[in-house]
Amino acid sequence: MSGNIRQVVSALRHNRIGALLVAMQIAITLAVLVNAVFIVKQRMERTSRPTGFDVENVIAIASAGFAQDFDYVTTLREDLAYLRSLPGVIAATASNSVPLGGGVGVMASLAARPNAEVHSLPGGYFEVDEQGIDALGVRLVAGRGFEQSEVEPPADSITARMPKQIIITQAFADELFPNENALGKTVYDSVDTPVTVIGIIEHMQAASADVAYVDRVSLVPRQPSSVPKNFYLVRTEPQQRDVVMRMVEGRMSTSNPDRMISWVRSLEEVRRRAYLADRNMGIFLVTITALLLTLTALSLFGLATFNVNARTKQIGTRRALGARRGDIVRYFLLENWLISTIGVVLGCVLTLAASYWLTRKYGLPRLDLIYLAGGVVGLWVLGQIAAWQPARAAAQVPPAVATRRIA
Amino acid sequence: MIEMRNINKVYRSELVETRALRELSQQVGAGEFVAITGPSGSGKTTLLNIVGLLETFDSGSLHFDGEDVSRLSDDARSRLRNEKIGFIFQSFNLIPDLSIYDNVDVPLCYRGMKAGERHRRITSALELVGLGSRMRHLPSQLSGGQQQRAAIARAIAGDPKLLLADEPTGNLDSVMAGQVLDLLQQINQSGTAIVMVTHDPHLAARAQRSVHVVDGQIAPEESGTLRAPAALAMPEARARETR
Amino acid sequence: MIRLYLRMALKSLGQNPGLTAIMVATVALGIAACVTVITMFHAMSADPIWWKSDRLYAVTLDSWDVNEPPDAARPHLPPPRLTYRDAMHLLESNIPERKTVMYVARTSILSNADRPPIAAEARFTRGDFFPMFDVPFQYGGSWSVADDTNAAPVIVLSKEVNETLFGGDNSVGRIVRWNDREFRIVGVLDTWEPQPKFYDLNRGHFEMPEGAYIPFRWGPQNKVTSASGRCWKPEPLDSYEDILGSECTWQQMWVELPDAATRERMQDLLDTYTTEQRKSGRFQRPQNNRLTNVPQWLIDQGVVQNDNRVLVGLAFAFLAVCLLNVVGLLLAKFLNAAKTIGIRRALGARKGQIFAQYFVEAAVVSTLGAALGLALGALSLKGLSIMYTVDEATRGGYRELLHFDVSSVVVAIALAAVATVVGGFYPAWRAARLPPAVYLKSQ
Ligand SMILES: Nc1ncnc2c1ncn2[C@@H]1O[C@H](COP(=O)(O)OP(=O)(O)OP(=O)(O)O)[C@@H](O)[C@H]1O
Ligand SMILES: [Mg+2]
Repeated sequence: MSGNIRQVVSALRHNRIGALLVAMQIAITLAVLVNAVFIVKQRMERTSRPTGFDVENVIAIASAGFAQDFDYVTTLREDLAYLRSLPGVIAATASNSVPLGGGVGVMASLAARPNAEVHSLPGGYFEVDEQGIDALGVRLVAGRGFEQSEVEPPADSITARMPKQIIITQAFADELFPNENALGKTVYDSVDTPVTVIGIIEHMQAASADVAYVDRVSLVPRQPSSVPKNFYLVRTEPQQRDVVMRMVEGRMSTSNPDRMISWVRSLEEVRRRAYLADRNMGIFLVTITALLLTLTALSLFGLATFNVNARTKQIGTRRALGARRGDIVRYFLLENWLISTIGVVLGCVLTLAASYWLTRKYGLPRLDLIYLAGGVVGLWVLGQIAAWQPARAAAQVPPAVATRRIA
Repeated sequence: MIEMRNINKVYRSELVETRALRELSQQVGAGEFVAITGPSGSGKTTLLNIVGLLETFDSGSLHFDGEDVSRLSDDARSRLRNEKIGFIFQSFNLIPDLSIYDNVDVPLCYRGMKAGERHRRITSALELVGLGSRMRHLPSQLSGGQQQRAAIARAIAGDPKLLLADEPTGNLDSVMAGQVLDLLQQINQSGTAIVMVTHDPHLAARAQRSVHVVDGQIAPEESGTLRAPAALAMPEARARETR
Repeated sequence: MIRLYLRMALKSLGQNPGLTAIMVATVALGIAACVTVITMFHAMSADPIWWKSDRLYAVTLDSWDVNEPPDAARPHLPPPRLTYRDAMHLLESNIPERKTVMYVARTSILSNADRPPIAAEARFTRGDFFPMFDVPFQYGGSWSVADDTNAAPVIVLSKEVNETLFGGDNSVGRIVRWNDREFRIVGVLDTWEPQPKFYDLNRGHFEMPEGAYIPFRWGPQNKVTSASGRCWKPEPLDSYEDILGSECTWQQMWVELPDAATRERMQDLLDTYTTEQRKSGRFQRPQNNRLTNVPQWLIDQGVVQNDNRVLVGLAFAFLAVCLLNVVGLLLAKFLNAAKTIGIRRALGARKGQIFAQYFVEAAVVSTLGAALGLALGALSLKGLSIMYTVDEATRGGYRELLHFDVSSVVVAIALAAVATVVGGFYPAWRAARLPPAVYLKSQ
């Protein structure tokens, strides 16, 4: 075998540029493949993070009152009464924002001590009523939900003080009070209003998927402001969602001439929109990478085929000199493997450079070397597969070619 | 060593069937030096290919060292070629990307020989043909005669029992041709049987025995060497094609 | 001569159809990928008002919290908007040729007695807005300076809103209700879709312009709150007056400065003003007052997304692979013809002729590839615009961007030319350089 390698190397040395071109191709392919797979994996992790709320069965409705004499309080009461009366509806609440779907005043900071002493932590902010927890389908792990009597009327300015009770997510609780039980503790809003933590929910995502505080969320007992719009969150029995959605769309858009229903969406749809950019980036990367792999495989295949054709006489001579079919197959696979290996080695350098650049420039996490190892093995295998058919064709060259063929 | 009996070989292409060999029987003993002559298209190369196991035949039998080779698998035939048969081609067939040294190494590699042993054989074969100082040259850096001598080194490095040469001097001038033949005779004297196709009656005369092929059959022996030049004057004409 | 080379090239390509197909497909894919991504990138970073780029400036002052920058990711930048009081002060200046402060209303519903109400955003701005940004009118025109001063209830509608509410008629002089208040229409815009929406990048970079425009002063006078804004200071914001006097930033300000001299005077004005304010305890951060032109503004505001930059890198890596592929295949092919080339050379062909012959062959491959690549690129842009479509109904977003424009075609042709030169030059050169003798001699 060692003699075989020497021969292949020698043959490659005489076609240095050609081999190097293919190797560079493999190198770039490896760099793109590894980094793309890594990015896609991260995007997928991002989009598949647990939401904490009941994605499948919650409907969000956006309503905007505009008339001069718009009676918001009555509208709220009537809308909620209507929504709660629908068959298949488990619970409904009015809210200032929609999980993963934006809203009005979606962020509020909390601190474990009054602001002067300690920096406050920003978190998602949801104004809900006594049905809020059920309407979102979040899981309460400590304390209690809101009472009807605790729910405050809409605030009249955008930075009103917080109500007296608050429910926060476990993640928020853990960050505000590391190693302590947050239940019953007092937290402070940005203007130092003291608020009591009466409940802790296991998990819930904020109104935007892109914020750092996506897992830190607080719920407060208050009806949302009417400006510019308010939302309703309605949770239905399984399988009832679409029926309820159609009913709601039909009825609410015409029931009150003083307001407009901007949209009615399932939270599934809301989440899809929130991750559209991630999904598109994923599709893009996967498409380009797949094309690149195909192209590289095709090119390895094309070059191998071409080499086999060009060396027919040589193959015949080798056969005449006693090479078995297997030897010929091995020769071409070995040649391919050597080129792949040069490419893969170059590719490792390129991959790490690209990854370094992505980390430095765009704050991507460092590449996990497992991906690189996977990519290397993958390209080796791809190369061998691409060369397999041409190598087999080479083995079929009859030995008599040695005496019959001119060139 | 080689025994051919009633061998028939027909080439079939879309339109024509060519009977390249018909009922051909011939024997070659160990250590013999046989020259094959005959007009162009008469079936000499075909004969050599069949003896060298490069091609199969349609009917008849071929025994190599008493073994019936028509039944052997492709791999077994390769092994036999590798170990017992050496080839010299009219157009040298050196592999252009490999140095002379590596070219000689090719058949030895397929035999799975140890590196030290290979090196010994390669150098001694190249020394024998007088190319000891040009082992690292590429084929394109040698003259035609040197290339053919390299090819001979490659053929004998594996110590074959039988050396097959198809017009080994066809591409060389008469001085070179003489040198190559000296070499072949030298090899023959060390015990290797040689079957050589040639058009040159002077060269054929240097073999122990000469066989004349016409129309895929062995022609009467005594007239063989004398008629060869005449045959050269009418190439292809004798190739008989039947439908 | 070129006809002969062309014929030889086609013959040679036809003899090896599989290889030719691979090469053409490779060039096509590379060009398609590049054209697609470049079109995207181009659309996203293009200056939509390049002809006025040296005159239009966004005004920003760093009035933010002394302890932290407004945007941790871009700490060198002041907040993109001004506080109300700073904006009002700067508006007094008559240095700029044109100037406006503006914001978008939080709620905005337009109605007309005989049609159902529609939601369309409304911008409170000065009459200068229209000439400053070269906004085209279909009917009527901007309101007067007097209307600006008097906070007159007049309105300019976009073409689409006018179509929805008035069936596209000339509605100038008629009345439309905005949030249930009456406004007299003074103008209707013609189609105007600057991409990106450079003058307001605070809520999406590729949104459509607003549906209605109202004199700026009317907004604060009637306590219209802003759709977007940011605050940093813990201070009471219980009434509208509180907001007007607060450190919250919510006013966008643009000025048109005709030359470098006025620009300098404007910059002086900003610096003098903040130095003055510093004495009363405001503007505690290092002085950072900026007049930013549109191209820089697009970069500062992150219009070109990281994702897109990564994709551009990717597309070029892809094209590189494609070119390497083609060069490799051509090289193998040409060198394999060494013997033929040797014979030709022996028969008297000059190096240049051999080179030309093979270069033409490479050019044929690239040209076919480029044509196919353009078609593929058009297809993939179609696919992309479907991918980026959020809603069938809503316009805006990426959807409008992704059409094949002239520049993409130019880019494709340029890329094909580069591909030909890069891909064909080296192999053809190698072929021409083959020594004729060596290959005739051996074998
Ligand atoms: N692969 C093939 N297919 C069809 N016919 C063939 C094939 N190989 C050889 N032949 C035919 O078989 C006949 C014998 O050919 P062969 O090559 O043995 O002749 P040769 O005696 O070696 O001639 P030369 O002296 O010209 O080399 C010829 O008529 C030739 O045309
Ligand atoms: Mg012959």
